[in-house]
Amino acid sequence: MQVMRWAISYPDRLDHAIVIAAAPKLSAQNIAFNEIARQSITSDPDFHAGRYYDYNTYPKKGLMLARMVGHVTYLSDNAMRDKFGKDAIEGNFGRDLRSGKLNFSYDVDFQVESYLKYKGETFSSQFDANTYLLITKTLDYFDPAIDYDFDLSKAFADSQCKFLVISFSSDWRFPPERSREIVDVLLKARKPVSYLEVEADQGHDAFLLPIPRYIKALKSYLGKVANDIAEQEAMPGGNADES
Amino acid sequence: MTLQNKKPCRGETLMRADLKMIQKWIQPGSRVLDLGCGTGEFLAYLKQKKNISDCGLEIDEDNIDLCLQAGVNVIEQDLNKGLSNFESGSFDTVLLAQTLQTVERPDILVEEMLRIGGNCIITFPNFAYWRHRLKLLTGGYMPQSSALPYEWYDTPNIHHCTIRDFDTLCRDRDIRILHRTVVDFKNRSSFLMKLHPNLFGMNAIYHFTR
Repeated sequence: MQVMRWAISYPDRLDHAIVIAAAPKLSAQNIAFNEIARQSITSDPDFHAGRYYDYNTYPKKGLMLARMVGHVTYLSDNAMRDKFGKDAIEGNFGRDLRSGKLNFSYDVDFQVESYLKYKGETFSSQFDANTYLLITKTLDYFDPAIDYDFDLSKAFADSQCKFLVISFSSDWRFPPERSREIVDVLLKARKPVSYLEVEADQGHDAFLLPIPRYIKALKSYLGKVANDIAEQEAMPGGNADES
Repeated sequence: MTLQNKKPCRGETLMRADLKMIQKWIQPGSRVLDLGCGTGEFLAYLKQKKNISDCGLEIDEDNIDLCLQAGVNVIEQDLNKGLSNFESGSFDTVLLAQTLQTVERPDILVEEMLRIGGNCIITFPNFAYWRHRLKLLTGGYMPQSSALPYEWYDTPNIHHCTIRDFDTLCRDRDIRILHRTVVDFKNRSSFLMKLHPNLFGMNAIYHFTR
């Protein structure tokens, strides 16, 4: 989404924009998840209205909860089943047990619970709470169309670059439909755009993973870019610095 | 029957002679939408020769990748799901090569092509080609040829049509045919084909508008 902003605000500085697992703006559902994360942080007694460093502490529990809910939205149902369904029980549904038996307590019974707890704890010691609040708010407010009569195609009117938009089939946080909206807006603005929807089970996380078709497409696209630059440089008086 | 399981490839079905014929109808610097653009070969050619603004639709993963390699703008989109995301008049020429017979509603697609671009070009294998007729008549089998290389049970071609069929569609829908050419498997045209296009033409090439 940052690259869309660059294509809009700095049209003469971009030759190519690759927009991966994005959306024209966040949906109500996206904002809802961000709000849950923010509420977790701000309602932590250690938050101290954002002045937690004055008290030599930080909202560890809040950050942990924020990360746990965030993490679930990055994965897909199938991805979680695969990750936590290694026990050879038919129809396991990703319900691997941590200690091999159910304890019928509020402690950790399932692998997925201990995984989320671990992810949350690691994150809480590495990420600043105010930064988390600000970044999620920035995402919520992101809407480049606001300055262009709510017509995103007008926002891209001056863009000079080529676009490659990529989405992942099981991404329900930034689903393929949102990416297709970007593509349609670019078509409306008559900009050169390519689009592919990569079949992947890993949810939004897929964009970080070496999925063969995804990697191949990036390689093909960037390979062509590299070739074009090499050709430009080979030409007398050629200047490839613009890229 | 060595042709079975052959992958559809634009390079084979739309050969250079076809390209030559079609490219005459495409204005330099115009906007061209290629529906089912295959490997992107034709758009890449037009880009280089005529400096067109290109856009291709394709669903085959390998073809899409070849388009990216060639620097052709390609969108993964199924023609059967409609083209409502394309604005009316947003392209100068809309091309549909060797794909008409594979879509669910060819008539709706033709209407959509006319809506999106004033100039439309369609090529398709003529089912009434004499060799096809002969195979059906003498053998009683669904015809196979280099234009129709599939077994009946495993073919993308679900709406075969003939030159006469397409002429009728154009007449019924008030579509104006600007050019119509029929060619044989080597993309040659001959006196016989001009005399009896529906019998001797293997591939039909239409250039039309409304």
